[in-house]
Amino acid sequence: MSAPLLWIVVPFLGGVLILLLLRERYSAWAGGALSAVLALIALIFPIDTALLLGTVSLKISPSIQFFGRSFEFAKADGPLLAIIYGVAALWFFGTEASGTANRFVSLGLMIVSLLTASIAVEPFLFAALLLEIAAMLVIPLLVPMYQKPGRGVVRFLIYQTLAMPFILFSGWMLAGVEASPGDLGTTTQAGTMLGLGFAFLLAVFPLYNWIPMLMEESSPYATGFLLWALPTFTVVFALGFLDRYTWLRTTPQLASAIQFAGIVMVASGGIFASLQRHIGRMLGYATIAETGLLILIMGLRSSEIVNLTFLILIPRGLALAVWALALSIIKRKSYSLLFSEVQGLARSYPITVAALILAHLSMAGFPLLAGFPARLAIWQELAGQSLSTTVWVFVGMLGLLVAAIRTLAVFVMVEEQKWGINESWVQIAMLGLGVIGLFILGMFPQILQPFLADLPSLFNRLGQ
Amino acid sequence: MLILISCLLLFVTALTLIILRVLQPTARYTWLVAASGGILSLLSVFLWLTQMPFEFVLPAWQPVSLFATPILFRADEISWPFSISIAALTLATVLTASARPVFVNDFAWMGALALGGVGILAVTADNPLTLLLVWAFLDLTELLTQLRSVDGKANNEKVVISFSTRAFGLALLLWANIVSAGEGSTVNFQSMSASSGLFLVAAAGLRLGVFPLHLPYSSESTLRRGFGTSLRLISAASSMVVLAHTPVESLNSIITPFLITLALIASVYGGWMWLRAPDELNGRPYWIISLVSLSMVSALSGNPTGVIAWGCALILVGGALFLTSVQITWLNRVMLISVWSLSTLPFSLTASAWLGRLGIFTPFVIATQALTVAGFIRHVVRPPERELLDTQPGWARAVYPTGIFLLIIMQVTLGLIGWNGALQVGAWLQALIASLLTFGLVWATPRFRILNPIRAHWVTSTASRLNGIYQGFWTLYRVLARLSQAIIVTLEGEGGIMWTLLFLALFVSILTQGSP
Repeated sequence: MSAPLLWIVVPFLGGVLILLLLRERYSAWAGGALSAVLALIALIFPIDTALLLGTVSLKISPSIQFFGRSFEFAKADGPLLAIIYGVAALWFFGTEASGTANRFVSLGLMIVSLLTASIAVEPFLFAALLLEIAAMLVIPLLVPMYQKPGRGVVRFLIYQTLAMPFILFSGWMLAGVEASPGDLGTTTQAGTMLGLGFAFLLAVFPLYNWIPMLMEESSPYATGFLLWALPTFTVVFALGFLDRYTWLRTTPQLASAIQFAGIVMVASGGIFASLQRHIGRMLGYATIAETGLLILIMGLRSSEIVNLTFLILIPRGLALAVWALALSIIKRKSYSLLFSEVQGLARSYPITVAALILAHLSMAGFPLLAGFPARLAIWQELAGQSLSTTVWVFVGMLGLLVAAIRTLAVFVMVEEQKWGINESWVQIAMLGLGVIGLFILGMFPQILQPFLADLPSLFNRLGQ
Repeated sequence: MLILISCLLLFVTALTLIILRVLQPTARYTWLVAASGGILSLLSVFLWLTQMPFEFVLPAWQPVSLFATPILFRADEISWPFSISIAALTLATVLTASARPVFVNDFAWMGALALGGVGILAVTADNPLTLLLVWAFLDLTELLTQLRSVDGKANNEKVVISFSTRAFGLALLLWANIVSAGEGSTVNFQSMSASSGLFLVAAAGLRLGVFPLHLPYSSESTLRRGFGTSLRLISAASSMVVLAHTPVESLNSIITPFLITLALIASVYGGWMWLRAPDELNGRPYWIISLVSLSMVSALSGNPTGVIAWGCALILVGGALFLTSVQITWLNRVMLISVWSLSTLPFSLTASAWLGRLGIFTPFVIATQALTVAGFIRHVVRPPERELLDTQPGWARAVYPTGIFLLIIMQVTLGLIGWNGALQVGAWLQALIASLLTFGLVWATPRFRILNPIRAHWVTSTASRLNGIYQGFWTLYRVLARLSQAIIVTLEGEGGIMWTLLFLALFVSILTQGSP
């Protein structure tokens, strides 16, 4: 068995089979179980290393050829695949509790497999094509059948599609830069093209307005999944660029531009979140702020870029899943996520509200919760470089904190009403496990160390 | 390790009570279990004296290259007096529960025991990271218990606002940590940079309701005597401990006198309202404001020992008064020993309170102290109608006063042994003047109408919309909301893509200006 077959083809086929054969009831468990098994395999069986099980020798070969292109996974990709499929399993197990249709699991599996292919493909510029195909597959996930797509969906597709030519064009120019590194004109043009490509992909300010729009018009769970999956893989893709091209890392102007973009996203995301009256849009702005943090990390002059990035990505997956699930449950009850519609829900849906608030606080970097250790590390790293940058990041996180407190105030503002639990047992179990996970990751981030320890070797030069 | 043992004794006892409540809901020995846990914990904190100073370090967060600061607890002359006070308060809460009208294996006992454990962890926290985690735990616990115990829109809103002020206090502590990290010193409070000192004071001030003056806790909560007292006092003490860690060099700032003035305004207000409060439970928020402001003045005047003295007084003297729910004449008289503890006279618990540089602020400090002590005397000697102990069983009649007596004994003991502030002569002349003024106020209280009890009017709890500062923030918030709405409508409207691309072109041109 080769690794690309196992982690790209199998989940893609699994998605197709679930779409065609399984009923909605079983799809969540099937998709979740498949993802969990793939995560466990990635964790237990090292790629390209023979394992003896009794008399049987097992070896997962690292690559496969496909139409002249190669898909390769190195041994160090194991923890990354475990993280990807582990978090994806959480999302798929949560679909039943969220009441999302079975298309979510099948399309979700296909999207994850395509995105996984994007980090394995060689030449790696083809990742842009795979990201574009994945973005297209997201559309049926966001738009219910026989319904006209909303403005947010259209804008999402436009921006993702615009990203592809910029990335491919920059790839062509980068070859020229490698050939003549002294040509500053070409270098600037290549850097600008690449920057624009990633600006569209990562929804850098002001290209992020489709995110809150999507949160308003589409299913919160599906949109939450999209907001977890796309930035995660795009960031890994971007790290690959930084790792490959030395001049990208060493050009001070580029590093400043990356930092500036990150700061604007963090600060504006946090401030806009604090001013919203729609709890779905708040999630959108929180993810924008967090993507800003990831971009900011890429611009740091530090050997800890990879560690910091993954320290954010894992809790992000969990917090987003819990938050999106809670939003889905609330939306099924109140049909709208406006403050006026969800006021006083804390007493009738206490577990959902508690999970939502804790996930929100986690993204704001509240101590004890999953997002805190990563933010603390970023702040400490930033403080050594620039206190003014740190101030803006701090402002962004304060904005998210204000948003969380406003949401909490709206949820608890109710006249005399008895406490009661109206969530189903599946919802209680999923939200409960998610919240426990948030606390565990917040108090003991060292449990991520088995995943994080080998990841820097994926990007050797970034750690230098 | 002893720190862990003391806390574990409380946590394990709380856990045992939960298990007993599930398995044997009618068991009659649960109170004994709770009291035994409390006694053992108190004794174990005394044992710290044999090994002090010592540290307890939890396994470091990883990767170590990112997390240089470990989670660290330290028993020393700052944390020990706070810890012993918290352990004593926890035990006293359980002992005095024997005289409560409903005497069953109550969640309040478990809460008080667990809270005691967390409180000890908070006061022994030796770096901002550790304290942040413990504060966050306390804040979330308080938010949860308050939301469960209050009713009505306005009260719920007050709880959220209280939580928000404490959360912003957390943010200030975090900022102090970041500033210190930027200068390369984060391992513990002792090595924190001077520039972070005022942020520490501001963090504590915000959480305690001093900067800006507000009442962080609502008085309408149903959490009154037992667990309510523990929660209020331990929560306040956990914030006060930061003041004792403030680097003295940071107090040379130009804004220090300004902060002292603010703290004095808060303390005079707190003392005045405490003196005029209708009863001790309604006056409790003012008692806390008054004492924490005095401790803040101590810290800002360069006397961290004074913070510890006021902190212990807050817990032990306040605990004795607020846990008293039964009318016993002789016990009321014994409680007057606490007046000695608050007097700052030589060898008292607060003898070391005024060793700093107070300068022109001295008269105001004396006035505040006198108001606070006079208020205490008034609430002790003129208690509201309370139940009698005669209806309780014999053992409860013996145990209940023991709980109150324990807190009084601890006040006297702490004045004599175990820490830097013990056996101090202190500023005796200042103490004498404050004492004379106190007795003057006690004499005048029944004779002058202005000193008679009324309810608070110009500063209410944090929810007050009339407060100018909050109103200002709210106006700013609304302006920002309108501005953001205008931006959002522009970017998300029909011409949004064009506007977005225009912005993008603008940013690219700005950024490329700096490139070759």
